[in-house]
Amino acid sequence: MELIIPNTTEMWVNIVAFLILFVVLAKFAFPPITKMLDERADKIRESLEKAEDTRVEAERLLEEYKVQMAEARAEATQVIEQGRKVAESMKAEILAKAREEAEAEKVKAIEAIKAEKSAAMAEIKGEVADLSVAVAGKILGSSLTKADHAALIDKYLAEVGSLNEN
Amino acid sequence: MEEMPIKMEHLLHELSVLSLAGGHGEAAGFSLTNYTFWLIAAVILVLAFFIAGSRNVKLVPSGIGNLAEAGVDFVRNSVCIDVIGPEGKKYFPFLGTIFFFILINNLLGNIPPALPGTGTVGTTFTWAIIVFLVYNGIGIKKLGFFKYIKSLVPSGTPWWLAWLLFLIELISHMLRPFTLGIRLFANMYAGHVMLGVFAAFAAIFIEHLSPASIAVVPLSVIMQIALRVFELMVAVLQAYIFTILTAVYIGGALEAGSH
Repeated sequence: MELIIPNTTEMWVNIVAFLILFVVLAKFAFPPITKMLDERADKIRESLEKAEDTRVEAERLLEEYKVQMAEARAEATQVIEQGRKVAESMKAEILAKAREEAEAEKVKAIEAIKAEKSAAMAEIKGEVADLSVAVAGKILGSSLTKADHAALIDKYLAEVGSLNEN
Repeated sequence: MEEMPIKMEHLLHELSVLSLAGGHGEAAGFSLTNYTFWLIAAVILVLAFFIAGSRNVKLVPSGIGNLAEAGVDFVRNSVCIDVIGPEGKKYFPFLGTIFFFILINNLLGNIPPALPGTGTVGTTFTWAIIVFLVYNGIGIKKLGFFKYIKSLVPSGTPWWLAWLLFLIELISHMLRPFTLGIRLFANMYAGHVMLGVFAAFAAIFIEHLSPASIAVVPLSVIMQIALRVFELMVAVLQAYIFTILTAVYIGGALEAGSH
């Protein structure tokens, strides 16, 4: 029975021990430790949140870049397409112009040839007329009237013309 | 074998409360006892450990700071918050003091020739009474004296039953310091008696060598080792039980008004 009857000295020692332990631990030892535990927990939570935010941001940026990339690619394709169209239309234009010019050149050349030809014809006509009058005068030995001349000229001309046409 | 009773008496005498200044029990007066000597050693250890630990806390924990943190974290989360709830954090200094005091005393008592400071009722009853006063104090502070007393009986109980319930509750509360104190004391004391018994067996069978010695001595030594390991577990477990029951009592006192 003596075993479970507390010794008063021991009780006093324990009361003092409790008071000293409680005061020192609660005032000086525990606060830095619990503070650090809380701080660390906060820090870890913050870091995790930050990491999550960063991840979300990174994903958003990636998405944005993807969209931009696609846009840029589409734009590039469009630019190339446009360039080709411009080049094609330019080509067509140049060709058309060249053709037109060539045509104009040709027409002008034909005109010139025609003019040359008629001039030559007119000259030949004069020459033939004079020649025929002179020939006729020599053959006949007589002078012809103006009306005879004209009739003769026309006749020769017609002959020459038909020759020319062949 | 006739020596066994003598050895047992010697063992029990060694495990009883002895004044370091001579004398026995109450006669010891105001001098330290064999238990309080080791108790003071344990208190100094706890203080040294936590003062060193608290000076060593870093964001990235290491060394003694890490160990102190692990202990604090365990009591704060697994005892205070798990048992009492979020407001249990407030009672950590008290519960932590109890836990580390008992734990270090129990563990120190496991290293011969030390005795556990908790192996005497002088210690365990004192701490149990402190717990009793504190948890009731917490309840009274929260509800006021009369409301707290009234809260022992669930409201709405018919008066003739209320008195009976009140009496039962009162007795159960009054018994708490005894059960708390006896449980811890008996565990520590009995452990040391067991260790002493096997040590005595080994000693007797070595002193009087006989064919039986071949079996008894090794067996006693093996039992010694097994019991030491078992005692380490008991040391931690009893510190945990004492603390968690204290937390349960505090939680009960805080909840008293909410029924």
